[in-house]
Amino acid sequence: MSESVKIVEKKHVPSEATMIVGLPDVGLVGLIATSYLISELNLEEIAYLDSDLLPPVVVLHKGLPHAPLRIYGNQNLIAVISELAVPAPAIYPIMREIVEWGQAKKVKRIVSMGGIPVESRQAIKEPQVFGAASNQELLDMLSKSGLNIMNEGYMVGPQALSMRYSINKNVPAIAILAQSFYNYPDPQAAAIALKELSKISDVKVDVSKLLEKGEEIRLKARDIMKRTQEEMTRMKKSQEYDLPLYV
Amino acid sequence: MSEKPRKRSTFDTMNEHLEEFDELADELMESAFPEGPSWNTETCCLQALSNVFITSREVIVTADLPNIEPETVKVEAVDETLIEITAKMKKKVRFADLGICHRQGEFSSLRCQDRVHVAVDAEKMKISFKGGVLEVRFPRKKRYEIEVE
Repeated sequence: MSESVKIVEKKHVPSEATMIVGLPDVGLVGLIATSYLISELNLEEIAYLDSDLLPPVVVLHKGLPHAPLRIYGNQNLIAVISELAVPAPAIYPIMREIVEWGQAKKVKRIVSMGGIPVESRQAIKEPQVFGAASNQELLDMLSKSGLNIMNEGYMVGPQALSMRYSINKNVPAIAILAQSFYNYPDPQAAAIALKELSKISDVKVDVSKLLEKGEEIRLKARDIMKRTQEEMTRMKKSQEYDLPLYV
Repeated sequence: MSEKPRKRSTFDTMNEHLEEFDELADELMESAFPEGPSWNTETCCLQALSNVFITSREVIVTADLPNIEPETVKVEAVDETLIEITAKMKKKVRFADLGICHRQGEFSSLRCQDRVHVAVDAEKMKISFKGGVLEVRFPRKKRYEIEVE
């Protein structure tokens, strides 16, 4: 367990659940998708993350304070979100703690939701979704379910560390990444990522409300997007545009 | 057998100093130019997210403009390197609409200003608006070609 980050459980945490991770990142795709899941499936807050590595912030909802990094769940599903742009140096211990906690709770698999930045996103009507997995068996499953596989490339940030630590701990992990704007909130990409999630899991939600609320979400998400962009710069997120060399 | 600790190279030390320097520069910038909110109740404007890309031939400015009337979009060159984009929203947005009840005010437009750092020819700009994102392309002024001998 990481000493600098601790997960405080408030309620019963299910075992054998699928854990979805949606931290602020490219286009806020993971955060928007996971927040929508939480709201549509009425998931309850079951735990939160506490760490001195995070800024001294609480979020008020209906007058009551909440930790910005929270974990929600029901019997089959655990969802991790952050209402705060996670500071780049804190992302390592936070992701390590999330994966180790997931392993202790015997999660079935960890699914990181996120975006792949594309330069001409406004010209794309229907963003494509790509998958990556921590082992060949899972990758074959993604492929059979019709998901495009991200064969070569770099992943940077929360999804990268989720994958890295999951391999270390032998926890099955998947990343679902939708083409999206780099630093504009992208609810459409989030909706499409959720549709793909429903193909590879029993997590199914109707995304029509998310698409309807797209403009409102884009207005509300401007501040967290701006702060997330600063952190993405610090973690050299632009490396995702690079071509890897593997001869 | 325990692993021998790796000897720190000059590059490690230099990297550490550079990181410290970066942090210090960030702190200085933050104290010199304190961040304001992303809204202005006096002008009734919300700040739009925007980007600037500079290529060898043109400058591309994009802005995320949700909930606006496309025909109200205005792109102005305040000077040769400062671009201002404004657009009226379809309907006014109050703090209460965003779930905030401890502030008062309403907003009727989105606005952003971007410094492009190179001179552009604003009269030849090309504008497109797709999926709520505005893209403005400006040809760059004063291109010099150096002949290779």
